[in-house]
Amino acid sequence: MPRYVVERTFDGGLEVPTDPNGFDTMMGVVGNNAKEQVTWVQSFVSADKTKTYCIYDGPSPEAIRRAAELNSLPVDVISEVRVLDPYFYVGASS
Amino acid sequence: MLLERDGLLAGLEHLVDVAGDGAGALAMISGEAGSGKTSLMNELARRIEPRGRVLIGGCDPLTTPRPLSPLMDIAADPDAHFTGHDLVESDPFSLFADVLDDLKGTIRPTLLVIEDMHWADEATLDFLRYIGRRVADTKAVVACTYREDELGTDHPLRTVLGDLATRQSTVRFSVDPLTVEAVGYLASESRHDPADLHRLTGGNAFYVTEILATGEHLPGSVSDAVMARVRRLTPPAQRVVEGVSVAPRDLAVDHALALSGADLSDIDEATLSGVVVARGARLAFRHELARSAVEDSLPMGRRLSLHREMIDLLRADEDLDLARLAHHAGRAGDGSLVVEYAPEAARQASLRGAHREAAEFFELALIEADRVIPSELAQLRLDLAVELGILDRQEQALQQLLLAAEFYRESSDHVMLASLLRRLSSVLWRNLDLVGARRAIDEAIELLQDAGDDEALALAHEESAFNWMLARRHASAREDLARCRDLAERTGADHVVLLHDYMAATVETVLGDAERGVAGLKRVESQFRERGDDRLAASALGMLGSGGGEVRRYDPALDALRTAIEEGLRTDADFMVAYNRSWMARIAFEQGRWEEATRIAELVAEERYGRAAIAPVTALGALGRVRVRRGDPGAQEALEEALRIGEGCEMQHLWSPYCGLAELAWLEGRSGEIPKILDWVWGQALAADSRWARGEVGFWMWKAGAINEPPDAAAEPFALHMNGRWKEAADAWHDIDCPYEEALALAEGDEEAMLEAITIFDGLGARPAARIVRSRLRAMGVAHIPQGPRLETRANPAGLTNRQVEVLGLMAEGLSNGEIADRLYISKKTTEHHVSAVLAKLGASTRAKAIARAESLHMTKDGGDGLRQ
Repeated sequence: MPRYVVERTFDGGLEVPTDPNGFDTMMGVVGNNAKEQVTWVQSFVSADKTKTYCIYDGPSPEAIRRAAELNSLPVDVISEVRVLDPYFYVGASS
Repeated sequence: MLLERDGLLAGLEHLVDVAGDGAGALAMISGEAGSGKTSLMNELARRIEPRGRVLIGGCDPLTTPRPLSPLMDIAADPDAHFTGHDLVESDPFSLFADVLDDLKGTIRPTLLVIEDMHWADEATLDFLRYIGRRVADTKAVVACTYREDELGTDHPLRTVLGDLATRQSTVRFSVDPLTVEAVGYLASESRHDPADLHRLTGGNAFYVTEILATGEHLPGSVSDAVMARVRRLTPPAQRVVEGVSVAPRDLAVDHALALSGADLSDIDEATLSGVVVARGARLAFRHELARSAVEDSLPMGRRLSLHREMIDLLRADEDLDLARLAHHAGRAGDGSLVVEYAPEAARQASLRGAHREAAEFFELALIEADRVIPSELAQLRLDLAVELGILDRQEQALQQLLLAAEFYRESSDHVMLASLLRRLSSVLWRNLDLVGARRAIDEAIELLQDAGDDEALALAHEESAFNWMLARRHASAREDLARCRDLAERTGADHVVLLHDYMAATVETVLGDAERGVAGLKRVESQFRERGDDRLAASALGMLGSGGGEVRRYDPALDALRTAIEEGLRTDADFMVAYNRSWMARIAFEQGRWEEATRIAELVAEERYGRAAIAPVTALGALGRVRVRRGDPGAQEALEEALRIGEGCEMQHLWSPYCGLAELAWLEGRSGEIPKILDWVWGQALAADSRWARGEVGFWMWKAGAINEPPDAAAEPFALHMNGRWKEAADAWHDIDCPYEEALALAEGDEEAMLEAITIFDGLGARPAARIVRSRLRAMGVAHIPQGPRLETRANPAGLTNRQVEVLGLMAEGLSNGEIADRLYISKKTTEHHVSAVLAKLGASTRAKAIARAESLHMTKDGGDGLRQ
């Protein structure tokens, strides 16, 4: 399954409370993603919390958009990406 | 996770919560074997356990059930406060009273489950009657599951149910079979077709999960479950069930009696056991899967003899049921009877619109090819090819036609050969042999020159006109149509004249006056209907959809496509369904309904293997172009795949994907590559007569600066745009609901128009085009450029949309979902979606918490910022 980075903008700043409600919100997102066979791997949030860079696995960009729609999350740009690990070659050079 | 059980679970949970307040209930939960009653109870128990007590017992399918076995099970549970020892000697009613006291005396609510009540002994039924009358005063929900399909009319549980039915505290639930959607969801990771799987299993959850888990067509666990039920029957009732198992779909009761030597009471036993069901005076299995399990369990000799007996029984009927006779002849291995019945059964099926069945019977007849004389064999292959074409098995259709052609070439029957070549031409075309298709129809016309058969020649010219129309060659198509009309009028045959009118209207739609063409197609469609020729009527609708779609007469095209798809699904017309769907996707793309476009395109693309290319080419073209315009990844890949599948297709199916590649180059600042990308298709468009192909391909050539003015006979909105008349172009696009093209035209205008273009692009989610216009405005020194859609919809802390903010405001005013729905003129369901989205985004589990949180974020009126923007 392809991997995507999804960029999102939250003008008011993203806030997820660190209490059971926050947990419910996260699980709600995970449940909605499953309807589109989309997996949320992890997200990076900018220091001012207005932008997120979310790593997703999913069958197509359309599925990513549909999952975002179900979760009422904004989508700016979707890019298909590959994983590059700087330590992959460690040991191979010696 | 349990699918489609949310409502049931919520209802049951609610009962338990209410019971906690001292208003208990009896829940009677019915469903067929394997529907998932036990899973439902387990899930309910899991949910109740944190806040209540769960006690579970069950009845067993023993010949002599142990008295009160469910209560004995429960008494052994340390959570139960009554004891079951010495139960047999003690007065059962004192035990019932102990149970009642226990259910009244606890603080937390109790969920008491008794599974499989259909197997209950007399004493357990007495308990049910006792507790059912008193449960309202307890803090318990007594939940009993039972198999509805195993309750005969005189089953003792029915009497108890009748006694308790009218009580307020008795609530009935039914665990229904899964829908196609749910089956599709379960099967989404497998290769199973949801519709097939649903038909095979009847939506039975056990069957579905077993097939998916084992990957077998008939899993051993399913056979075992089915056969266990069959073996509980008496031998005569078993013979009834075996008889029903060899019949396709169902079996007449009289035939069942004759096959089994049983009597009517055995039939009752078989139906009351739930293995087979009575439908009028016929018997059938509840599930196709159960039927094949029983049939497979029969020893070969027994099976053959049942099929032979069925043949004798059916031959004695006054009206011969050819389909059943052909089926049994095939299963009995009687070749001469197959040849006698299968072809006619196939033709009848075809007339009914059951094309899959028709193809199966023709294929059955062809197994016995050596028993058929060559001329009939050729006819069989020709007929089968027609069915295969409808079913979108184009390669197999071609094979059959080529085999038939061999016979007609040797027979020197020119009229028959020409008729076959006519058919061959369109099948070759669908298999992407365009040269062969042209050659076949040319040969047909040549063969008929001196044959003296005006009708056959007229039909050949009609096919030839069709072929030129497909290539978008106007003059050649018109020539053939003129010849066709002269010949048709000479024959005076109405159906030939009508076929001429059909093709004339098609050519007019695509290459001439679209309004007249569309009106003509509507007219011939109803004329075909009047003649009872639904298949040609459906073809006319398809032509209206794809031809009308190409020339952007969207409204009649969409109407036609919707009707044709519905009709096609009903008659197994897979080719037409796929192609019509692909045009729905294309039109949705062009009209800016991108979510719809991608959904339909995916449907077609998923089923593309082994099928005619033109549908997936069109669908993938639409999908790829949506990605281009959204700036999503995979655009180039989808378009290139469309062109790869479409290699050898006519220009008409390829210009849109090529334009998609050109547009992608423009959006990515690679306009210099466009002339090379469009090189081939531009030449093709100039050589053909499609105004819209010339218009769109020409437009992207013009965008790249490769041409300075529109090509001759380019479709008007494109021509206006290329002539610099952006305002008129935008209006023309607006009139036919093509917002993206409208915005492209506005983007060529003044500052105000460019700002409007940005609004349209933002609304569509057309990020790359919007970015280009924004940067041009910036370069022009315009100060106030709106920043993008997020300013309008996301200017609040929790990222709510405008609508959600509105809904939150009404929630804060204390309105219920129903009141909010009325206020906003939306459905209650939509309101519920908004409310749950609001709760989710605010991380709130209740409305009150959501409102409190909104206030703390200063999102409500009281909070200061104002909810409405």
